[in-house]
Amino acid sequence: MTETETSLLHRIAAKDRKAFEALYHRYDRRLFAFILKLTRRADLVEEILNDVLLAIWKGAGGYDARSRPSTWIFGIAYHKALKAVARREPEPSGEPEAEPVDRDEPESLLARRELATVLGRALRTLSHEQRAVVEMTYYYGLSYQEIAEVMGCPVNTVKTRMFHARRRLREILPTMGISGSAGQEST
Amino acid sequence: MIDGKRWERLHKRVWDLLPWYVNGTLADGERRTVELHLAECLRCREEIATCQRLGETLQQTREIAPMVHPARLARLMERIEAEERDSRRGWRDALLAPGRGLASLARSTPPLARGALVVQLLLLVAVTGLFVRSPRQPAAPAPAPEYQTLSESAPAPAAVARLRLVFAERTTEQEVRDLLLGIRGQIVSGPSALGVYTVEVPAGPDPLEKVLAHLRAQPRVSLAEPAVGQL
Repeated sequence: MTETETSLLHRIAAKDRKAFEALYHRYDRRLFAFILKLTRRADLVEEILNDVLLAIWKGAGGYDARSRPSTWIFGIAYHKALKAVARREPEPSGEPEAEPVDRDEPESLLARRELATVLGRALRTLSHEQRAVVEMTYYYGLSYQEIAEVMGCPVNTVKTRMFHARRRLREILPTMGISGSAGQEST
Repeated sequence: MIDGKRWERLHKRVWDLLPWYVNGTLADGERRTVELHLAECLRCREEIATCQRLGETLQQTREIAPMVHPARLARLMERIEAEERDSRRGWRDALLAPGRGLASLARSTPPLARGALVVQLLLLVAVTGLFVRSPRQPAAPAPAPEYQTLSESAPAPAAVARLRLVFAERTTEQEVRDLLLGIRGQIVSGPSALGVYTVEVPAGPDPLEKVLAHLRAQPRVSLAEPAVGQL
């Protein structure tokens, strides 16, 4: 799979549209979700996604196969997303709207929706960088080395961001039963 | 046994690695270090449980990523084409519109290179003159573009499909927007007295049933049906 993606990128560098379409189909949804999770800005996702895909089309020749293609691609998405958000700050005002409750919903769905709301609110209190580390770790299953490559920073920075994110989430989430113990870390 | 300070350093190192122990991406050596430490550290064992719950919760609250819609790719390819044509046209304009293009080119070019450019340009003009009989009017309106950019007001796509949608009560505007974004849909009319929206989606190789199935799977959509005739 990795080899195929590498060869797709090489073909894209040679302006092969079929290869670009194939890569697009593999990454479109993943990138959409990634950008949405990172920015929490549904109004910006599509624009950023297009910029990312365009950057892949234009810059595939710069892929040097030192990292996995997915790491390279998510790196582009990460930087484009952060830039777009910085251009558009501030985010639409503060607290996200409380999810409307439909009494007819099954209880499990209701609980899930409430959980999503609380977790979403907690994640919003993190910086974009901290949120990106949390999402890339738990949602995308990347190693800390891969995250460092995506973010273009040292691995220790990744660990520090995660450290602060965990501390922040621990303050906010005990009511959700996510943070079980007082969990004292050593500093 | 290791002394207190070394133990604390090890504990800190392991503590920092726990999220990646949980997601299974640690290298073998680091994983072994974590496991040895876990055997004797209650705080880290508890933290492992917290990390696991956080990971599981994030997975459970997976947000809806819209299905890949062919219109999105088509639009992107149009944009790529437009940009490539623009960049080609940019060069052509710079060469063919002496007043504007050349002046700015000359301003940003060092004197020595400017001389070389002038010689090349004279040659180019001479060679072009052999082939071009009627001189181009710089002020003439640009020919109708053979492509369409995103910023132009789009004519109706060749093929569109219309759906009827009813959203669940108390669906927020944001949720409606997200849902429409996912299917590249546009509201063309509604809501009717019964709360029915008519939504247009670009028709593509994806069968309409797939779009409908995607919509019907969304908790905020009460009804999604192909529209027959007008409301």
